Order: sequence, then C-alpha cells, then structure tokens
Amino acid sequence: MKGRLVLAAAAVGSLAVAGCASSSSSNGASGSTSSASASSGGGSGKTCTASVGFEGPITGPVAPLGTEQLHFAELAVSMDNAANKTKITLVQGDTQLQPAQATTVTQQFVSNSSIVAVVGPAGSQEVEAVGGPMARAGMAFISGSATAVALTTGKYPTFFRVVSKDSVQGPQDANYIVNTLHPKNLMIVDDQEAYSTGLVSAMVPVFQAAGVKVDHESVSQKVTDFSALVAKVTPATSVVVLPWQVAANAQQFGRDLAQQHKKALIFGTDGLFSPGTFTIAGSYVSSFGPDITAIPTDASIAAAAQSKYGSFGTFGPPVFAATHVIDEAIASVCKAGQTPSRSNVLAAIKQTSESTSILGQPISFDSHGDLTNGKFFLFKISTSGKYQLIPS
Amino acid sequence: MSFFFQELVNGVTTGALYSLVALGFSMVYGVLKLLNFAHGDLYMVGAYIGFFVIQWFGGAAHLTIPVPLLLLIMFVLAAGVVGGLGVAMERFAYRPLRDAPRIAPLITAIGISFFLESAALLLFGAQYRVYNTAEFISLSSGIQIGSVTIDSVQIMVLVLGIALMAGLRLLVNRTKLGKQMRAVAADREAAEMLGINVNFVITVTFFLGSALAGVAGVMGGLLFNQVTSTIGFIAGLKAFTAAVVGGIGSIPGAMLGGLLIGLAESFVTGYISSTYTNLLVFGLLIVVMLVRPSGLLGQAQLQKV
Amino acid sequence: MSVDQRGAQEPQGPQVGADEWVARQAHRREYLPSWLGRAQRASERIGWWPRLALAGLAGAVLPSFGLGGFQLQVGIDALVIALLAVGLNIVVGWAGLLDLGFIAFFGFGAYGFALLSSAQIGSAGIHLQAWLSIPIVMVGAAILGLGVGLPSRRLIGDYLAIVTLFLGEAFVEFTNNVAPSKLGGPNGITSIDPIRAFGFQLTTNPGYYYLLVIVLVVTMAVLRLLENSRTGRAWRAVREDPLAAAAMTIPVNRVKLSAFACGAMVAALAGTIYAAQQANVFPTDFDTPILILIYAGLVLGGAGSIAGAATGALVVMVIYDGLLRSPAEAGYLFYGLVLLTVLVKLRPWRRLGVVLAATIAFGFAARAIARAASASAVAGGPGSSGWIARAVRDWVIVPANATVAGNFGFVALICLLIALVQVSSRWRTILLPPTLYLASFVWETRLVTEPSVTRQLMIGAILIVMMNARPQGLLGQRRVEVPA
Repeated sequence: MKGRLVLAAAAVGSLAVAGCASSSSSNGASGSTSSASASSGGGSGKTCTASVGFEGPITGPVAPLGTEQLHFAELAVSMDNAANKTKITLVQGDTQLQPAQATTVTQQFVSNSSIVAVVGPAGSQEVEAVGGPMARAGMAFISGSATAVALTTGKYPTFFRVVSKDSVQGPQDANYIVNTLHPKNLMIVDDQEAYSTGLVSAMVPVFQAAGVKVDHESVSQKVTDFSALVAKVTPATSVVVLPWQVAANAQQFGRDLAQQHKKALIFGTDGLFSPGTFTIAGSYVSSFGPDITAIPTDASIAAAAQSKYGSFGTFGPPVFAATHVIDEAIASVCKAGQTPSRSNVLAAIKQTSESTSILGQPISFDSHGDLTNGKFFLFKISTSGKYQLIPS
Repeated sequence: MSFFFQELVNGVTTGALYSLVALGFSMVYGVLKLLNFAHGDLYMVGAYIGFFVIQWFGGAAHLTIPVPLLLLIMFVLAAGVVGGLGVAMERFAYRPLRDAPRIAPLITAIGISFFLESAALLLFGAQYRVYNTAEFISLSSGIQIGSVTIDSVQIMVLVLGIALMAGLRLLVNRTKLGKQMRAVAADREAAEMLGINVNFVITVTFFLGSALAGVAGVMGGLLFNQVTSTIGFIAGLKAFTAAVVGGIGSIPGAMLGGLLIGLAESFVTGYISSTYTNLLVFGLLIVVMLVRPSGLLGQAQLQKV
Repeated sequence: MSVDQRGAQEPQGPQVGADEWVARQAHRREYLPSWLGRAQRASERIGWWPRLALAGLAGAVLPSFGLGGFQLQVGIDALVIALLAVGLNIVVGWAGLLDLGFIAFFGFGAYGFALLSSAQIGSAGIHLQAWLSIPIVMVGAAILGLGVGLPSRRLIGDYLAIVTLFLGEAFVEFTNNVAPSKLGGPNGITSIDPIRAFGFQLTTNPGYYYLLVIVLVVTMAVLRLLENSRTGRAWRAVREDPLAAAAMTIPVNRVKLSAFACGAMVAALAGTIYAAQQANVFPTDFDTPILILIYAGLVLGGAGSIAGAATGALVVMVIYDGLLRSPAEAGYLFYGLVLLTVLVKLRPWRRLGVVLAATIAFGFAARAIARAASASAVAGGPGSSGWIARAVRDWVIVPANATVAGNFGFVALICLLIALVQVSSRWRTILLPPTLYLASFVWETRLVTEPSVTRQLMIGAILIVMMNARPQGLLGQRRVEVPA
C-alpha cells in the first residue's frame, strides 16, 4: 500500500516536473509549437520564427463557420511559410462564439510570448470583450468577420478587420433592393445574433423611408423548421431578406418557399454565400468576400482548399486574407533584420498595403483599423445554381 | 382562411414528429421513472444514419436504388442502430444506477447527452450534412387543396407517425408484452415478484423508445434537410415539453402533447411573431404545469407513505 | 449533532439524513479508499473551520507563485463556477430539488448589475456603487427564486427539473430578443463599471481574483453556519422524506422556497462579480453548457458537501478551461490520468508490471506489423508535441489518413471500455494492453488535434463515470433513497 502510494506520487511528480520543465522552456502554454523553435528566432539569415494565434468558434453553435475559418487560416500559414521561407505556427483557441471564452483564450495567447498577433475573433461581441486585453498587451488582432460599427470608433487601437462594416453593407443592400427590385411588401428575418440584428437595424430604416411595408421576424439559428414562417409570406411579399449566418438554414427556407408555392425571392448576406449549400435559383447574395473560385489569381488557393477541406463559403477567404496580412508583416519584420515581436508586427500591419489579395481588392487599413474601400459583391444565383457576379 | 389551414397542416406535421420523439421519452419514463436527457441525441444519431445511407447509395442526386427502397432501408437501419444504442445506454449506464438516488441517473443522462453530442462532432465533423430531399422526392409531388399545399414528405411523416403510434398503442394495450410493460411501469418490485422478467421488459422498452427516436430523426432529416450535432438538443427539449404537457408516462398524453406543441408553434409564428415563439411555448408549458401539474392526460401521482 | 460524522465505524445513534443500518455496514465505505481515506479522516480531525482558513490562505497565496495572466483568468473563471456550485449545492445537494435553470439566476445577477452600473438605462445610465447594487440585485434574485420555486410546491422532482430547464432557456431567449434597446439584445451590455465602493475600485484581474477568494470563503462560512442551523436540518429532512418532514411540522413548501431563494442569492452574487470582471454581458454567457459545467463540478466533488462542491468545481474548471486548451498540457493530463488509474487500480505488483510490459510490447509489435502491411499506415506523426511525441513516435501507429482511422478507433475504444467493465478479472488483464494502446492511438490521431471537442468529451465522461463509480462524488456522503 505504501509502496503503491510512493510509486503513484513518483509517477505524478515526474510527469509534472517534465511538464513544467518542458513548458518553461516553451514559455508557458504554447499549444502546437514544438519547444525547440519557440525560443526567439528570426534575424538575418536565420529562419523567421513566430506564432500566430487563431480565435474562432471551432465548436459550439456555429462550428461549421469556425472550422472553415480555421482551415483557411491553416492554409494561409502553410502557403506563406512556403513562399516566404518563414516558420510560422498557428495556435488555435476555441471561443464557441462566447465572449467569456474569448477572454480566456485571449489571456492564454497574451501569456504566450511567442504569439505576436492574432487572427479573429469571429463575433463582434467577442471583439468587444477582448479589445481591452489585446490593447493592453499591444497585440494586433485582425478579424475576418466582425462587422459591427462600434468596433472601429477608436476604442480598440490594435483591432483591424478585412471586411466592411454593417453601416456600409446594410444601406447599400437596402438601396439596391429598393431601387432594383421595387418591393411593395418585404419580410426581413434576423437570426437573433448580433451580426444579423446589426444589419437589420441598418436596413429597415431605408425600407421604411422608401415606403415599403416591412414585416420584421426573428428566428433562432437553432431552428430548422421554417414552414410556419414561410406560410406567413403573403402573395404581395416579393422579397424576403435573410441576413443569416447559416446557409443551410436559408436553403431550407428557400425549399419551403418553393414547396408552399410562394413567389418571393430571397436576398441574403454573407453567411448565405455558400456555392455548395445555398443554391436557390433567382436569389441574391451580398457578400463582403468575392467568389474566389471566379477570381483567376485565387485559383490555386481555391483548388487547395477544395481538395483538402471540401466546399467552403464566405467566412474562410477573409480569414485567409487576415492571416496573410499577419504573415507578410512578420516576414517584412524579419527581412528588416529584427526579431518578430508584438510591437513591430503591429507597426508592420498598420503599414500594410497589398495591391491584390484573395478578396480581389487591395488591402490597407485606415486609422481606426477598418479596411479602406471595402467592396461588397452582389451575386445572383442562376437557374443552374451558379453564382453570377452583378457588376456594380 | 387558407393561411389558417396552411399553418394547421404545418403544425400537425411537426407535431407528429415531436409526438414520436416524446413517445419514446414517455415510455422510458414510465418504466424507469428516468428523464432520459440523451433521448434528443438519439434523434440526432438517427438523422446522421439516414444521411449516410443516402450517401452510401450514391448521394441525393444520383441514387442507385428506387426511392421507396431507400426510405425503407433508412428507417429500418436507423431504428435498429439507434435502438441498439439505447439498449447499450440502458445496460451500461442506467442499470447499475437503478437503486441509486434519483439524481444519479439524471446526471448520467446529462453526461451521456453531452458525450454523444461531442462524439458526433468529433466523428462526423462540424459541417452541416444536407439530405437534399428535394432531389429525390420532388417538391411538387403532394396534394394541393386550394392554396394549401401538403408536401409528400409531410404526408409520409403524418402517415408513418400515426401508424407507429397506433402500433405502439396496440402493443401496449393488447399484447402480453404490453401488459408486462404496464405492470413494470406501475410497480417494478411487484412485477418482479409476479415473475415478469423486468430486465427484459425494460430493455425492450428502451429499444422501442430509442428506435422511435431514430425513425423520427430520419423523418426530421427528410423534412428539414440539415443535420448537425446540435439538432438533438432542440428536439429533446421539444419532446420534453410535449411529454410533460401531455402527461409524462402516458402514451396518448405524449401524442396529444406533441400535437399541441406543434400547433402552438405554428400558430404563434403565424399570427403573432416568430420572435416570441419559444417564449410563448414555454409559457404554455408553465401554465399547464401550474393548472394541472401531472399534465393534461397524466394521472396524479399518489404519494405513498 | 454534527453532520460531519460518517458512519463507517461507530455512528452516534440516529442521524437525520443518514440511514443507520447502511452506515453500519463495514464494507460500505464512506471515505475514499486506502490512503486517501486516511488523509480524509486525518483532515477531519483538524476541523472544518481551520480547513476553510487553510484553503482560503492557499488560494490567496497562489498568485505569488508566478501565475501569469492566463492562469489568473482561469482561476477567476474557476472561482466563479465554484461559487455557483456552492449555491447550487443548496438547492440540489441539501434540499434535493433538481434545478436545471440555475443559470438563470446567475444571468439575472449579471444583467442586474449591468443595468444598474452602466450607461444602459436612460441617457447617462445608472451608475450605482457596488455596495448598493450588489445587495439590490441579490434581493431581486431572492424574489425571483421565490417566484421560480412556486411551481415546486405542486411539482414532483422530475417535473420541477423540466420546468426549471425551460425557465433557464426562457431567460436566454428573453435577454436575447425582448427589449433590445434596454437589455441590449444579442449585442449585450458593454462597458459595465468595475466594482466600486467607498473610493475603492477593482480594475485588474489580480484584484478580482482576491475578491473572489474572499467572497467564496465568506460564502462557504455562512453556508456552513446555515447547514448546521434549523434551516439546514429542515432542508435535509425535506430532501429525504417530505411527507415525514411535514408530519414533523416542518413547513415543507416554505422550506423549498427558502432553498430556491438562498441558491438564487448566491448565484446572483457570482453574477455581479462576473459582470464587473468581464465588463460585458451577453445572453450566450448564460446558456446550458455553463450549467453542465457547474453540475459536473458539483457531481465530481459531491453534492451535499460545501467543500465538495467548491473543490469539484475548481478541479473541473482548471482542467476544462486551463489544461485542456492546449494540446501539450492535455497530453500530460491524459497520459498522467491513464497511468495513474492503472497504477492505483491494479492490485498485485506482478500484474501491474505484466500489463505495462505487455502494452509496450504490443505496441511495438502492432506497429511493426502495420508497417510491414503498408507504409502509409505509419506515415503520420503523433499529434502531441514535446517530449511525449518524441517518446511515442516509434510506438504508436499513426496512419497517413489519421482522421478516419482515429474515428474507427474511437468507436472501438468505447466498446472495449464497456467490455472491460463487464468481464471477469482474468479477461480484464488480457484486454488491458490492447485497450491502453488503442487509447493512445485514438489520442494521438484524433483527440489531441481537436482539443476543443476533447474537453467536452471529458466533461461528459466525468459525469457518466462519476455517477456510476461513486455517485456521492469525491467528498460527498453516500445516501440511500427508499423508493416511493
């Protein structure tokens, strides 16, 4: 008995010692960084080594979006490592789209001195929660999907985003609907998430000012049965606006529309951009990201993503762009002969000026972290389910 | 008026689905007095099985076998596998806890539910799996009465649901096995003393209840098309509501409860607003609970001293 | 009569809440087995209050061992959940009311504090100081607890569980959809004031950590006093047998309501500190997964025991939120746990040695066979990092296409584990080496590459295993329920 106790204590102790020894040499929780390379690298001639954190909803209610973002971030890191001869590792952190967890993950990344910048978080509420700690740590973080207007009012000096904000997308789409589709009655359904409600509150005033009768509905993202809601679509309603994040739900909504012989067409936003999933003919999709399969320069990226991860939608490419910005910043810091650190990577990101990118537009940031001249792309789905870009 | 009928049709169809899940839940509660929180996740497993059967036979757009055969295979396989899963759950997780304090199997059930959801996430991945029912059951097949459309999938759900429920009632009320189930539900110890093989009866009950959930999962997949690891939670919640409103432990109660919940959702969405649907349905539940604590068709529980 | 005495040897006569006959059975161990039980009995000789003081001191001193920002954050989260578990213990552990909507009180506390201490209401907002807003919120929560407890008068255990589950869901729906301009909707309430009182202000994480340690210790002390009072005894009586309690003139309904109210107050207190520390509240912060964490902690530690609730919650949160977030540390935890279990559970030394040696040999043999069969079967590298990966690289089979093989291995592992529990001892020894190897295989191919899913699997496994192996938890008291 006593011997067993001694042996058990010895086993636990040796594991703990080994763990502590190994982690102290890798500066705390370093995730998938191997302990050898976590010590400072970079500098002229030597390999450029750094870690980039990824915060996203890998599990939880929007796990499909989060995993897509993670995959594209990993793809960007591997492609940039090959192109720039750097050794950047990606450390993932799961936030489940919850701000409290995002705070914990952020603290984890902040404590890990090898992480010099972060991609994410995905949700606007999460950005609100982590903006402060990130600013205190001087760590840049670039989001590929947080579109709330309040985020770039100067509160969070280290925040950047590669997508445009709701105040641009909402009125732009609403005006297009009013001017081109001329609806008399319109139904707009939000999915009870901040992204959706933000867009709705930007769009509804435009509709009302144009004299369109608006029926504002709301369903949770977890709902999969829309037959009752679809039955509410009157014959006079010609447009249903779905600023949703889950394309599969919108596809089901469209099917229910067809099944109940309703003539309304669907106007969706970024979440619906999913060529494999949302294919209701005649629908419009407004996206902050282009269809990268239609951009010739993105052919290799699209092919790589397709073969490794299957079909993807609209949330992956912006995260690729964000990760790429960080990778390039790290590479430029190394080329200047310095060791990547949070401050010089932050400065390099502020100076970002890419003439082309996966998003089909130049990337640079204004003083508040917004993407300058962010474009929105409007697509119409043809009868064969293909997304056709509508030139602006 | 046709709007009313359309909402009625929708409500009855989804109500039939909820009834099926609630039935299994109610049956298990009846014999074991156990709230099986993992029941909704059995629904989810059934839905996944249906999806994989479709993929096995070529995918929704290029099926290699005729549709009725496909449906038969989906239902039978889902019923069998999910029933077996339920039996395994009972055998290895709930049976050792038969005489433990009531909280123990309840917490185990919560644990199993969480575990099943995470396992599904691990094994099947996070992306939505889509049935694409419209590819092999055309959207225009179905009945149209005036401007009210009833899809053929909805008809199938209704018919199959009613058939299963009728069959279950027959089983419980007319067969010897059903009599044994009712005896075990009334008083387990007395039934054991009378020579009934209680373990066998409980196993069969679990199998039937879980098989029903699995079939409901396939039907849900056909109706709603998307399958992901979290659909079980919502389905389970609706099943609890239905079973409790109708009177837990009572089979006609589960059917009535499911129908009521389906109709309530439909009409609240249609006539009030979809924003408040869940809140109002919860409210309905609270009201029923306060007015008739044992549910609409349930029997008031006698408290034995 | 102190409720601390457990009846393994000589119970001092009849006790409320403990079945005398059960307690006398020598083989029904109330304490943990072997040296752990001895440690428990020794610590009991110290007394409850000194133990609490020691624990509080340990908690307060911990940050000075060089805990970084991340560990502090994990500590804060763990302390909040521990406070919640202690509150839940009142309702579930003491009064026996299965409350699945407990998280709504937590949310009420957080939102209440947010509304009273931010710019949300009115043009400039109400900015009450903490010493005002916290008591107001706690009183409000007590009233809400009374309201929620009202159906419990007519509902028997399981119905109460369902109704409270729905109330919990209804809270999330309510705060998400109703009155978005006042409650913030999905955007929540941001820029909440920190805790301010009489010129003091807590703005740093270490500050909140110490505050939480103090609050937890004080709450546990207050609850200890409550446990040994008439109210505590009434709660336990109602839990064991409401009819008998009513026959002994205990006002059963009032007692149940008071349990709800007390639990709600503790939860609201935790909510206010949470809101102040996070400086934001969102509806999704109060969803069911958090409730499951609290329950896992309570179950692990032992429902019915204050120390158990707090300890269990701390252990669960440190593992879930801290250790399992990074694959490297998760690896230590996993292999450490497996080795520890094998070490402790396998009785004769010879058997232990044989099993370990067989596992290692089995591994090498299996890998050699796999490599001979096809090169791609061993092409991948283990998912772990650090010295563990180096150690197992030549031992574990990791195919090139790890995902599919790992999935099948996972299912096979579950089946094997279930079989292990059912078979006789000899077969168990034979099956152990393949099971251990398969566990390592599944870990390296699948589990370690997806830490976010793995930690959820772990929580579910904790609940299942604990309830089957030791329903009273680590520090709880074993109860026998007479079926109605």
